[in-house]
Amino acid sequence: MRLRFNLLFGGAICLIILTLGVFAPLFVHHDPILDANLMNAELPPNADFWFGTDSQGRDVFSRVLYGSRVSLTVGIVSQLINSCIGLLFGISAGYIGGRWDEFVSGLTNVMLSIPSLIFALAIMAILGPGLGSLLIALGLTNWSWTCRIARSSALSLKSQGYVQAAKTLGYSDIRIMITQILPNMIGPILVIGTLGMGDAILAEAALSYLGLGIRPPFPSWGSMLTDARELIAVAPWAAIFPGIAIFLTVLGLNLFGDGLRDYLDPHMRTRKA
Amino acid sequence: MIPTILAVSLLIFVIFSVIPGSFTSSLIADGKGRNDPKVVEQMNKEFGLDKPVYQRFGSYVVNLVQLDLGQSFRTRQPVTHMLLERAWPTMKLAIAAMTIAILIGVPLGFVAALKPGSLLDAATMIAAVSGLSLPQFWLGLLAMYVFALTLGWLPSFGYGDGGIRNLILPAVTLSVAPLALLARTTRAAVLDVMSADFIRTARSKGMNAYRLVTWHLMRNALVLIITTVGLQFGSLMGQAVVIEKLFSWPGLGSLLVDSVSMRDIPVVQGAILMIVLWFLIINTVVDVLYAVIDPRISHG
Amino acid sequence: MYKRFVLQSTLAAVLLAGVAMSASAEEPRKGGTINFVAPYGSSFGTLDNQASPATQDEFVTKAIHRRLYAWDGNANKPVLDLATDVSASADRLTYTFKLRQDAFFHNDKKMTADDIIDSYKRIMTPGKAYTGARYIGAIKGASDYSDGKAKDIAGLKKIDDFTLEITFNEPVNPAFQLMQPSTVIYPSGEADKDSFKSHPIGLGPYKFAEYIPGSRLTVEKWDKFYGADKPHADKINIMIMGEASARDVAFRNKEVDVSVLGPAQYVAYKNDPELSKNILEVAEVYTRLVGFNVDFKPFQDKRVRQAINYAIDSDLIIKRLGKDKAYRAVSWLPLSSPAFDKAAKPYPYDPEKAKALLKEAGYPDGFEFELTATQNESWGLTIVEAIIPMLDKVGIKVKAKPVEAAVLSEVVPAGDFQSFMWSLESGPDPMTAMQCFYSKTSQSACNYYKFNNKDFDKLYEAALSAPTEEQKNDLLRQANNLLQDEAPGWFFNYNKAVMAYQPWLHGLQPNSAELAIQSYEQLWVDDGAPSGR
Repeated sequence: MRLRFNLLFGGAICLIILTLGVFAPLFVHHDPILDANLMNAELPPNADFWFGTDSQGRDVFSRVLYGSRVSLTVGIVSQLINSCIGLLFGISAGYIGGRWDEFVSGLTNVMLSIPSLIFALAIMAILGPGLGSLLIALGLTNWSWTCRIARSSALSLKSQGYVQAAKTLGYSDIRIMITQILPNMIGPILVIGTLGMGDAILAEAALSYLGLGIRPPFPSWGSMLTDARELIAVAPWAAIFPGIAIFLTVLGLNLFGDGLRDYLDPHMRTRKA
Repeated sequence: MIPTILAVSLLIFVIFSVIPGSFTSSLIADGKGRNDPKVVEQMNKEFGLDKPVYQRFGSYVVNLVQLDLGQSFRTRQPVTHMLLERAWPTMKLAIAAMTIAILIGVPLGFVAALKPGSLLDAATMIAAVSGLSLPQFWLGLLAMYVFALTLGWLPSFGYGDGGIRNLILPAVTLSVAPLALLARTTRAAVLDVMSADFIRTARSKGMNAYRLVTWHLMRNALVLIITTVGLQFGSLMGQAVVIEKLFSWPGLGSLLVDSVSMRDIPVVQGAILMIVLWFLIINTVVDVLYAVIDPRISHG
Repeated sequence: MYKRFVLQSTLAAVLLAGVAMSASAEEPRKGGTINFVAPYGSSFGTLDNQASPATQDEFVTKAIHRRLYAWDGNANKPVLDLATDVSASADRLTYTFKLRQDAFFHNDKKMTADDIIDSYKRIMTPGKAYTGARYIGAIKGASDYSDGKAKDIAGLKKIDDFTLEITFNEPVNPAFQLMQPSTVIYPSGEADKDSFKSHPIGLGPYKFAEYIPGSRLTVEKWDKFYGADKPHADKINIMIMGEASARDVAFRNKEVDVSVLGPAQYVAYKNDPELSKNILEVAEVYTRLVGFNVDFKPFQDKRVRQAINYAIDSDLIIKRLGKDKAYRAVSWLPLSSPAFDKAAKPYPYDPEKAKALLKEAGYPDGFEFELTATQNESWGLTIVEAIIPMLDKVGIKVKAKPVEAAVLSEVVPAGDFQSFMWSLESGPDPMTAMQCFYSKTSQSACNYYKFNNKDFDKLYEAALSAPTEEQKNDLLRQANNLLQDEAPGWFFNYNKAVMAYQPWLHGLQPNSAELAIQSYEQLWVDDGAPSGR
């Protein structure tokens, strides 16, 4: 019963936010960047500005909506990168074994032992703030779990009959890895990816707070929160709405990920939470 | 462990040798002192920054092998000395946060698992997931406003005299994410054990199943807590960076952030190495504990 | 429960009335603890103050150390501190200082001329790069000493224990050189001991007591301090609090006695009936500006640079975004500068004129440029975000390039930018400030704009050799007005520093060099302070 609830409720939240982000221009009547009129700064929510305005006189509603594009891009793209790296290393390590496996395991240990936020902080400092840097920083630092899972399932699948059969049929190693092994681990990887998206969105907020976010004036929820944190007494709406947006999105992703895991494999619950 | 540390030190050396900005430029960042080219040149010479990268890496490794992390650019003190000053506050914060997370998270998970699907279960789990969905600095700021400003119960910032009053707010803020995670995993573990065949059999036979259940639950929960603690340590240290900065907590995390922004590279390298070392030690301890608690568990 | 402290009404009225509040009307109370705040970062760089130029480290310097000169935050000029008298030679190269005989280091040692000579020698130590070298380097023979060519600094001569003669390379005003925080005096032979780095010894009104790096520095009253009846308070905790929102909570919660306010908080405090009673405002000597790089083609045309000045509604930004926590800039020199022209008017907001100028200059459709800035709410990306739509209206597209502070101060002196936004010190000495637009000043020093104008150079050189202060300031005033017309940058505003303080704290000085840096020995708390302090 609860399984379905998580999946459906989380999925619904994600879907709504995705829709709002993708079709943002249809829902807003203010440009999130150029419709800045300082005469309208810090207006409370009203009929024209549903979520009020920020200190630059911009519409918080449209910035929250457009900001979802940044946050979702950060979540999705960084997790895609992470999954690709993790799968590439993991499957090949498990399948090929030997020296390569040792190297990958070592690398995974290194990645696991440096806290990913600190690693991302360092990469951001090198590349400089900006969306591209953010994608790279968060995409390079969080693949060790995917890699571990991919490796262990590749290891166990390798000895399965059908993989052996494919081998005797003369399939190339790459073909076997892609057609026989990869499809068998999509489930857990999807789960990790979904949960990781939530982490990436929170990491964006944390990096913004540390002064290493995206390039203004483009809106992201993290930078909106950071900018508005001193306005709490004056214009709380400028801080509350992006905060709620982050909370709902990450909540939705976490619920969806949980639900997905329970749905795909009820016995997997105790593994990586 | 040693290869990992070597690899990490190589990695961070490479990262921080290509970072833009330098210690000398950070000194004039407040727009006050102007850039005196002569002093800059002298400074690069004093800190060996005028030497080519491979030479610097060479001396870095040679020093590292002798457990010498070098000298801080800004204080001209040994890095080890600075790290030791900051280690205890961070450890205190991390231990306090983990303790809170365990003391609240585990019982919460148990309670939720007693009646799976109930309202209590759902509420607990939604709360847990919510805890994982909040930006930490936001949560910390909120805690400050509520518990320090509005209620006046606790000091809002700083280390005070090192006592517990100053520790509470940052530790509670830091504990939220691992707490939520522990509640969730505990619940799942309990449900797993309850549905295991041997327990069901024992129950159906009307045996005095409670002792059996309790023992298994205890053991599973313990394994679980230890695993989570070990694995969460990394992200805890990441979050500590944010929390320490927010609460003016004199730990390793705020030292790290400061040193990155001041480009005090020897300290940055030292601080990261120290965090990595802690992580590795904790996980080694976790591995040993596994074997003690449950000899059947093998791991590789 | 924390609201129980009622303010001292008479005193509050005095404080409310004036910016320069002389506490002489009221007898300062002895004793008590002050919780001060160091707001410019989440740590101190170092306790070796000869090695740091950072404002954040001055919070330590002011408590523990003394220099030959001090900056008087009430009168806003440099004054003799460790000397009682100075006389200059006719060529203005050699100065003879009569040192005070009542100055004791925190280790009970009496200060003599040797301590000053040794301190200056330490700053110039061969092979070391202490930032104080920038100022001590002006003394004759100092660079020979640091290059290892001499055993002593030739320009430092001890006449007797309490008479010191200093000779400079060029005629300078020694006050501005030797009041710098990185020229503090240490006791001879102590500074290079390892213990000194974690337990500094100085001549200041407070002696080192405890340091928790990244959190707090505690200093205690030094009984042998030479200032009459000073210091007043027994103990000062300097809390390191870089995070503005956390500082706000701590101040409202009465955990700290002062707080430096940003624009948003300024409004909130001004609108609060209680907090608004205790706010100190001062025009600081910092100019916020966007500098243009003339290597970028469009900026070579003066009309383009002027057009940008016309196209930005600076007053609106200051009023709405800056919450009036700044004064509109006219040109480079700030309001409090003796060379500031009170008759000069800033560029008016005139987008039509801007468009016309752009058209004249050959950019009828505008152009795009990159603006490098840090994440600062008063002189960084927040302001950049506000000018983006304004310049967009005249066709100029601005691409913000966010960088960290350490990167800004690297790329700007290196010329690696199209335009940059910064807050730069433009005082208190107008001569030093104007040097940054002199064509012989290198870009890496501070002529970031590669400003090269013959008329300006003439005025500057004339001012250098002007016989009187008035004539010098008059020439600099003309040079400053020329800068406005040439528009090497968009001169945005001069900082209005705002500090909130608790009703029980007295003796704050309206220091225009840097408001947050206070002479602690003048501060005192009345008995309205929270119990336990």
